[in-house]
Amino acid sequence: MGMIRIISRSFPLTLLPLTARAEWTVNLSPGVTEISRSIYDLHMTIFWICVAIGCVVFGIMFWSIFHHRKSRGAKAHHFHEHTLVEVIWTLIPLGILVAMAVPATATLVKMYDPKDAGLDVQVTGYQWKWRYQYLDQDLDFFSNLATPQEQVTNDQAKSENYLLEVDRHLVLPTDTKIRFLLTANDVIHSWWVPALAVKKDAIPGFINEAWAQIDEPGIYRGQCAELCGKDHGFMPIVVEAVSPEEFQQWLVAAKAEKAAAAEAANRSWTLDELMQRGEQVYLGTCAACHQANGEGLPPAFPALKNSPIAVGDVGAHIDIVLNGKTGTAMQAFRDQLDPVELAAVITYERNAWGNSTGEAVSPTQIADRIGAAQGEGN
Amino acid sequence: MSHILQRWWRTLIGVLSGFFGVQSERRREEDFKEGRAIHFVVVGLLMAALFVIFVIFLVRWALSLSGA
Ligand code: HEC
Ligand SMILES: [Cu+2]
Repeated sequence: MGMIRIISRSFPLTLLPLTARAEWTVNLSPGVTEISRSIYDLHMTIFWICVAIGCVVFGIMFWSIFHHRKSRGAKAHHFHEHTLVEVIWTLIPLGILVAMAVPATATLVKMYDPKDAGLDVQVTGYQWKWRYQYLDQDLDFFSNLATPQEQVTNDQAKSENYLLEVDRHLVLPTDTKIRFLLTANDVIHSWWVPALAVKKDAIPGFINEAWAQIDEPGIYRGQCAELCGKDHGFMPIVVEAVSPEEFQQWLVAAKAEKAAAAEAANRSWTLDELMQRGEQVYLGTCAACHQANGEGLPPAFPALKNSPIAVGDVGAHIDIVLNGKTGTAMQAFRDQLDPVELAAVITYERNAWGNSTGEAVSPTQIADRIGAAQGEGN
Repeated sequence: MSHILQRWWRTLIGVLSGFFGVQSERRREEDFKEGRAIHFVVVGLLMAALFVIFVIFLVRWALSLSGA
C-alpha cells in the first residue's frame, strides 16, 4: 500500500477536494453582508499570520533542540541578557500587531456606523423570546420557539432545524441598511445572527446599536448568546431576507393580519373556541415555566392546576396575566399577546387539568380591563 | 546647567526603555545609582499623558481617514 493511500485512509478529510471542505462548518461563516465578508477575510488573514508565526517559532525551536542535542555534546551557553535580540523580538510582534490593526480598524469603523439606515428595528430580549418592533411602521410582534416540546424530550424525531425555528420570522428587506436597536426587558440577552455578523448584548435600560445590509435573500438563523436563565437555549432567532418589493407586500399583509386580530376581539367566542386557541397560546408562551401539565416547577414556577388564582377570582387572574408580578419571572403579557390570545389562555387555565370553573373570559372583557387601566394611568 | 539637562535626558531614556520593555543591565544599574526616584515619577507621568494624547490623535486620524 502506497504512502498516500495510508495517509488518505487515516486522514480522509485532508484529501477531500476544496469544494467539499467548504461545507465543513467548523470555520466562521463568510455571511451575507459586506461587513460579514470583511470580518471573515480579517479572520482568515490573521489566522494565516498566526500559522506562519507558529511555523517559524516552533520550526526554530525544534531545529535548535534537535541540532544542539546532548548526544552530540552540545553545551548550554550561559548569558544574562542580549539587548539587540530583545529589541528585535519586541519590534517584530509590534510590527505584526500594527499591520493587523490597520485593516481591523477599517472594518470596525464601518461596523460602528449605523447612520443613514433605511429601516429601524427594535429588538427586545425577553425570558425567553424576542420581540421585534418595526419603528415607524406600527408593526410589533413576538417571535417564539416553534420546536414542539415532544422533540426536546425525545418523544418525537427531531426536525431539521431543531431549536432553530420560530413561529414568526423577522422579515427584512435585502439591499437596505437596517439599523437594529437592541435592549432587553428582564435580564441581559445577546442577539446573535452569524450570517449578518451581528452579535450584540441586549441590556435592560440600555439601547445598543448594530446594523446590517443583507445582499442575498434567504433564511438566516441565530441564537441568544448571553446565558439568560432556564430557556436560554430555547430562544432562537430566524431572519428571513426578501427583496424590497416582497418586503413591502409582507408589511401590508402583516398589518392586515394585525387588523384582523383586532376585529376578532369584537366578536363573541365560544368556550370551545377559546379553549382550543388557549391551548396553543399556553404551550407556546406559558408552558416553558408553568409546564404543559399545569403543574409548574415549584418553587421557581408555581402550578396553575388548582392554584388559588386560576380557580379563584377571575379579576385577580386577569390582572396577574396582564401586568405580571414585578420582581418575579412572571412577565406582563399585556403587550405580548392580543386580547383574543389573552382571553383564550386565561380561559384555558381556568378549565384545563381539572380546573373546572366552566368560565369563559371574553376578549372584550380583556380589552375593557386594559382600557380601564390606561384610563387610570392618564 | 548642561549637567542638569543631561540628568533629565537620562531619566527620559530610562522611562522610554521602561515603556518599551527592554533595558540593558548596565543602564539599569546606572539609573538606580545616579537617578532620583522623583524624576522618574514626574517623567513617567508626563510620558503616560503624552501616550494617551498620541492615542487620541491616532483614533481621530483613523476616523477622519475613513470619513466617519
Ligand atoms: C418566565 C417564566 C414564566 C412564564 C413564561 C409565565 N409565567 Fe406565570 N408565573 C411565573 C412565576 C415565577 C409566577 C409566580 C409569581 C409570584 O411569585 O407570585 C407566576 C404566576 C402566575 C400565575 C399566578 C399563579 C398563582 O397561583 O400564584 C398565573 C395565573 C400565571 N402565572 C399565568 C401565566 C400565563 C397565562 C402565562 C402565559 C401567557 C405565564 N404565566 C407565563 C413565571 C412565568
Ligand atoms: Cu436570552
